[in-house]
Amino acid sequence: GACRVSMSMTEIRAGFAAIKANIQSRDPIRTLSILSHPHSLHKVQSSDRCCITYQLFTFYVDKVFKHCRTEDSFVNRKISSIANSFLSARRRLGQCREQNNCVCGEESTEKFKQILANYEGLNVTSAAMKSLGELDILLDWMEKSR
Amino acid sequence: DALLPAPQRISILSTNMKHFLTWSPVIVQGATVRYSVEFQGEYEREYANGSWIPISECSLTTATICNITEDISATVAYKLRVRAELGATRSQWGTTKGFFNRAMTSLTPPLLRAVAEGHHLLVELADMGPSFQFRVLYWRKGQESRVQQKLMKEVSSVVHLDTMEAGAEYCVKAQAHVEAINRSSSFSPTQCVRAQGDRSMWLV
Repeated sequence: GACRVSMSMTEIRAGFAAIKANIQSRDPIRTLSILSHPHSLHKVQSSDRCCITYQLFTFYVDKVFKHCRTEDSFVNRKISSIANSFLSARRRLGQCREQNNCVCGEESTEKFKQILANYEGLNVTSAAMKSLGELDILLDWMEKSR
Repeated sequence: DALLPAPQRISILSTNMKHFLTWSPVIVQGATVRYSVEFQGEYEREYANGSWIPISECSLTTATICNITEDISATVAYKLRVRAELGATRSQWGTTKGFFNRAMTSLTPPLLRAVAEGHHLLVELADMGPSFQFRVLYWRKGQESRVQQKLMKEVSSVVHLDTMEAGAEYCVKAQAHVEAINRSSSFSPTQCVRAQGDRSMWLV
């Protein structure tokens, strides 16, 4: 089902742009992708979008951000900004998901399983940094599929 | 550490999505007391073991105010804390009572200037920052039932609203809107301007 949730994409993109180079420099494994392997998010059907977006927000909130703490105070502040924005957006998405009864189709369930497998295939800090470094892949997909 | 009292009267001043933490100075005769500020969002409380994040611009500052706008950048509940430092001695943390959410910011009406340039009705709005959009209402005086509206996502210096009838008077008012917190200010005072020329000139 459709879920229209207003979310400060501009603020999240600005926060991520400020630390993207720093975060991506901490990811030595350039040949692997968490979000795009083996298939891109763009292949997800529109009916599954609401569900997989919620799952991805939960993935970042529960698993990714907490393992991204760095020695750099500026980077930590921007990660906090993004994490709190994701938390706020996920809450609204969750409410919408319940109202619209966003059912998770087979495809999005399979896609999300693949993302978790990619994540668990690395040690947790590398996986978290790589996932954070791929945030613009998620943001681009969300904006394109609006 | 107990020798140095914690800062008191800690509060947040928030207007138009600009947020400041303030506190009372800790007085130690003949010494310069410094302060350090940290923040904690809902994410840190719920998912990061209640961790706190220092604000470097307000670390070891002598000021008793800290601009926290950059860090209060999500619509969730935040807590702030500040402590005093004198050499190696540090006070206990003084923490804001309750939570602060940027949705609580007070919104003032936009500063507006209506301009009649010949037959053109223009409006000039003061920039209020990246979070702000504007809703401008305008109508011909005496035709209050036929109000028109223009939504402005960004502020450009001057915006053309309408082409006016010669000699007629037109009125304008505006309110600011913040999408991130889904709230609007009250309307600015109405301003009216008269179009150049009078009707008889047009009848010739």
